[in-house]
Amino acid sequence: MVDDFHLIELQGVTKDFGDTLALDNINLYVRRREFVTLLGPSGCGKSTTLRIIGGFEYPTEGRVFFDGRDITDEPPYRRRVNTVFQKYALFPHLNVFDNIAFGLRIKKVSKTDISARVKAMLDLVGLKGYEKRGVDQLSGGQQQRVAIARALVNEPEVLLLDEPLGALDLRLRKDMQLELKNMQQRLGITFLYVTHDQEEALTMSDTIVVMKDGRIQQIGTPKKIYDEPKNAYVADFIGESNILPGVFIRDELVEFCGKPFRCVDKGFGSGTTVDVVLRPEDVAVGAVAEESMLTGTVLSTLFKGVHYEMMIDVGCAVLKAHSTVKQEEGSRVGITVVPFNIHVMSRGNAPDS
Amino acid sequence: MKRSWFAFPYGLWMLLFTIVPIVIIVYYAFTIDGSFSLDNFRLFFSPDIIGILLFSLWLAFLCTLICLALGYPVALFLAKTAMKRSAMLVVLFIIPMWMNFLLRTYAWMSLLEDTGLINRLLEWVGVGRVKLMYTENAVLFGLVYNFLPFMIFPIYSVLKRSDILLEEAASDLGANTLNVFTRVTLPLSLPGVVSGISMVFMPAVTTFVIPRLLGGGMFMMFGDLIESQFLTTGDWNFGSALSLVMMALILVSLGILNKTGTSANGEEGALW
Repeated sequence: MVDDFHLIELQGVTKDFGDTLALDNINLYVRRREFVTLLGPSGCGKSTTLRIIGGFEYPTEGRVFFDGRDITDEPPYRRRVNTVFQKYALFPHLNVFDNIAFGLRIKKVSKTDISARVKAMLDLVGLKGYEKRGVDQLSGGQQQRVAIARALVNEPEVLLLDEPLGALDLRLRKDMQLELKNMQQRLGITFLYVTHDQEEALTMSDTIVVMKDGRIQQIGTPKKIYDEPKNAYVADFIGESNILPGVFIRDELVEFCGKPFRCVDKGFGSGTTVDVVLRPEDVAVGAVAEESMLTGTVLSTLFKGVHYEMMIDVGCAVLKAHSTVKQEEGSRVGITVVPFNIHVMSRGNAPDS
Repeated sequence: MKRSWFAFPYGLWMLLFTIVPIVIIVYYAFTIDGSFSLDNFRLFFSPDIIGILLFSLWLAFLCTLICLALGYPVALFLAKTAMKRSAMLVVLFIIPMWMNFLLRTYAWMSLLEDTGLINRLLEWVGVGRVKLMYTENAVLFGLVYNFLPFMIFPIYSVLKRSDILLEEAASDLGANTLNVFTRVTLPLSLPGVVSGISMVFMPAVTTFVIPRLLGGGMFMMFGDLIESQFLTTGDWNFGSALSLVMMALILVSLGILNKTGTSANGEEGALW
């Protein structure tokens, strides 16, 4: 579905708010029909990026391109993008129908057309029969749907979504994640989605852009970002991980906790200090055996539903391990990680951890 | 239950200074020399009196209209100006209100006089002397000058509270600056407009000092008429009847305004 055409492109975009540098030289493109998520903690610049594309902020430096054209100087109302705002921003003086019809009325679409298109949208978001309701009579989830309908009815080429599910409870959020993803695929619209929820990003996106302090840390598919985080920050932010200091000995061999281990990474250069990432689910815990890579003592065991989460003191560090087999607290255990699951990352990429 | 005792001083105050006076006014209005009569109200329907009422309403209407035309842009400007500067501007608009309005009106008298500052300036420029004082426009000017802040502040406070995000949402949906204003900003500020209108219209229609000072007594308003019944003519009965008519008018217009205010927007107005 995604084609290679760069529908949106940011070139060297910097945003300086005077006291804070919100964005620092952002280069990014979004392909047609792609679902791109900007992921990062609050204050990382993800919302500012979205607002620059929407036209609500003007970049201090850099240009914004849409469909090959420079739109940096265009006001929001001329841009062929629509936004679903974090707090929905529904018009309190208009009912559901008039909220959704707002954009069409401005474009002077005929009355019968408006009525048909609004009805179709209400159908799509599952709010049939809500036309005459006031927006403050709706639940959070329903308001969310109206906000999505209000944006989609204009048939934008790109839909910008600024933490649209942030105010919903967990259950509803999960349902809406699937619905949004379905909608995006069915309508063939490009989505640019902002969230701080890594699980949401992994579930929905074609491409994830991890941001921190106004800089892009890594761009990649969810799987790539999860399996091969570029630096300790990304590894820590996406899922849980153990990050250990190490030294790269040679290709396919890395040392940490005072021992050499086989890995699959290459090309760091002998003697380079590196970060080693071990995902908790990759840390295999069992009885102490000859092939154990490390041995340690179980400090704590927590039942987490699907698995047990164990903290294991291996001397040089405390490792977090996920396993469906419970180990008693205080017991001695052996630990193995297969070479494929030992991720080596260069230190230099980590901004400050 | 015990806590209702705290309301006692307030209740006493209401009784002494609101209920009792109204009862006295009603008594005077419906009696002449102590016996029941509707003559006071019959007198009200004479062409002279109706004329004064209509003139008062007309002048108050013009005053409200001008205040709205001047006040809305000012309020919009204040609300949209960056925080620090707007706080100072708001104070600048408030400072004149710290002065007694009689003093302010006297100040304008000396400015508008035939030999006043403005006329001397006009002579110096070569336009020549213009009759400013004791005209209908002088009265209207005095009303607008005194009541303009009461239009600005309710609108300002509603606009200030309004969510910038809604205007962004509108422009995101294709609305240009004008459309954002007419379709979002203006309708959302209607409660402020409604309370501004009532806060200007009510005192303007009942005012009695400004027309006397700036109009030289030639343009009598309803408030002057009531005042003169009590202080000059000494006809308390007729004065009371006129006061009742005034009160009824105010209550009716307040009711209408409140209704439009709430139907325009589910929220309450800014000050009422």
